[in-house]
Amino acid sequence: MEDSFLYSKKILLVDDEPELRKLVTDILSDDGFIDIIEAGTVRAGFSSARQEKPDLAILDVMLPDGDGFSLMKELRTFTDIPIIFLTAKDEAADKLAGLGLGADDYVVKPFLPQELLLRVHAVLRRCYKADSPLLELEGCTIDFSRAEVNKNGKIIALTAKEHMLLETLSHNEGRIVSIDALCEALWGDNPFGYENSLNAHIRRIREKIETNPSKPVSLITMKGLGYKLNVRK
Amino acid sequence: MKLFSKYISKYLLSFIVLIFVLVVLDVAAFALTFYNAVSRNFGTASPQNTLKEVAESSSAGGIADEAARMLISNSLWAMYLNAEGSCNWTVNLPEEIPTEYTIQDIALFSKGYLKDYPVFVWGDESGLLVIGYPKNSYMKVTSNYYPMDVLRKIPLFFLGILVFDLLVLFLAYSHSKAQILSNTEPIISSIAALSEGKCISLDLNGELSEIADSINRASNIINRQNTARANWISGVSHDIRTPLSMIMGYAERIVNDRDAGSQIKKQAVIISRQSIKIKELVQDLNLVSKLEYEMQPLQKNNIRISRLLRSYAIDLINSGLPEIYSLEVVISPDSENSMIECDKKLITRAVNNLVQNSIHSNPKGCTIILALQVTEKTLCLTVQDNGVGISAEKLEELKNKPHYMESTDDRLDLRHGLGLLLVRQIIEAHHGTIEVQSKPQEGYKTNIYFAVR
Repeated sequence: MEDSFLYSKKILLVDDEPELRKLVTDILSDDGFIDIIEAGTVRAGFSSARQEKPDLAILDVMLPDGDGFSLMKELRTFTDIPIIFLTAKDEAADKLAGLGLGADDYVVKPFLPQELLLRVHAVLRRCYKADSPLLELEGCTIDFSRAEVNKNGKIIALTAKEHMLLETLSHNEGRIVSIDALCEALWGDNPFGYENSLNAHIRRIREKIETNPSKPVSLITMKGLGYKLNVRK
Repeated sequence: MKLFSKYISKYLLSFIVLIFVLVVLDVAAFALTFYNAVSRNFGTASPQNTLKEVAESSSAGGIADEAARMLISNSLWAMYLNAEGSCNWTVNLPEEIPTEYTIQDIALFSKGYLKDYPVFVWGDESGLLVIGYPKNSYMKVTSNYYPMDVLRKIPLFFLGILVFDLLVLFLAYSHSKAQILSNTEPIISSIAALSEGKCISLDLNGELSEIADSINRASNIINRQNTARANWISGVSHDIRTPLSMIMGYAERIVNDRDAGSQIKKQAVIISRQSIKIKELVQDLNLVSKLEYEMQPLQKNNIRISRLLRSYAIDLINSGLPEIYSLEVVISPDSENSMIECDKKLITRAVNNLVQNSIHSNPKGCTIILALQVTEKTLCLTVQDNGVGISAEKLEELKNKPHYMESTDDRLDLRHGLGLLLVRQIIEAHHGTIEVQSKPQEGYKTNIYFAVR
């Protein structure tokens, strides 16, 4: 699986319910994660984070000696690791969604195992993908550090916008990215009426990366919704 | 409010009618009382009639016995003066009354009193008939002359007085009506608001402050109870979530466990599916109760609905929509940039509930279309599937039967899912309207209309 490098990441789990901790640990280790640290309180979580230097923290919002938000603030004093909140309160979810506290994602209890895994994978991929600047596609390789496409030994340069577009798509590889999100990535907030320009950029990217640009296999149109980038498995 | 205004008019008008009735009654009582007083003491007829009667039954020579008896029985007296000023005859004449008169005497008493006796005179060819009433029985107006000018003005004057009085009455009426309305209006409207379960706070100044205070207190109590209820539901739904996470998590693990027997896996699938139902119920219940008790403040922003639909659809597909379902988003070009002021999260929730409804109703799969169209005044958001649909009776039931949160009887079997109630509440909170169309085997379609500015 393309995400295999993610399983080496160390995950810190802070929740006051031992049984829930056990469940989440089981879900994560079933999926292939090998390095999981558990903590039951804000204090224990903080000191574990200090010593073990995890790559991702999953925090419960309600903890016996404080809340997950304050723990996040403390963690932020020495690390920028991605944080996913677990919450049983709709209000907390609203707060997370509305205020943008700087958390990377949140999962509302009760959750399905796949839901949690999906978020963990997405967050890890987004934060640690930069490790490898090379993206293998069907028929070509993209080198993001050089903004180049290598199609059958032929080097083709990418423009800044094309680079940005491909990067946004690759962060969500295999998943649909909406027209709106792409326009926003390229032209900032309130990108009204840029759909035609977006189409033009997509067309040019296809000419650079697809073996047959009129029958794309990597950069797929999802009619009415957006685009999806398929990477080579 | 109109009703109340009518109510006040009715009562004030009836007061005016009552005033008229009282005046009429007063006049009648006056007439009756004094007519009786006069007739009891001095005979049934007026002095004028008595005079005429006596004149007819008497002459210069004498008086008929019957007339004389009538005079005596009514304590009256009479005398007949001839042209020389001396009495031809008398009946019941008091001692102090002389029997000889000069022309001056006659001129003086004929319009008034004779030795304090009110007298009435009747002249014929040969003399003057005088009838005397007891002292203090009648008051005679001796100076009864008025300038013609004044007399001519009297009808006009009375008419003027009448009109003026009516005007004053009417002004008093409309002023007091306005006064009552302005004092009671806030109270009435707050009672109306209270009956819709809204929280109110009345100004405690003014004459009706006591009533305002009681209403405020009632509102506080209702508010406190609603808050308690919503908090209770919120608390329960919160406490259920962690245990439910574990049920869902372990059921799912059993489903995916290679070592578990197929029988056990099947049962775990059932546990998993049912616990997802509880999860949805818990989430909806909390929001429904908050919207119901107005504890969920709407976070309204200008939102492009086209974008909201796309991003919802993408999230649903990305999170692994089973392949038997296909989801399409059809945005008409002119609605692409249509914005409405709404709570993004709630609208997404409403759309999700409708989509999940289609998914649950069609376990064998279906195509779901999210469509957006705009006319001059309305934005129409459609969630449509091509699945099994529902019968006309079911559709009626869905539209008309109360939900158990709104129903007061025990017939809980009539309820339908909280999900659709939530959709209705969310749309109502955004002043939108909702329309459901469905036929068996022809799919289920929900149109939601919002006003565009």
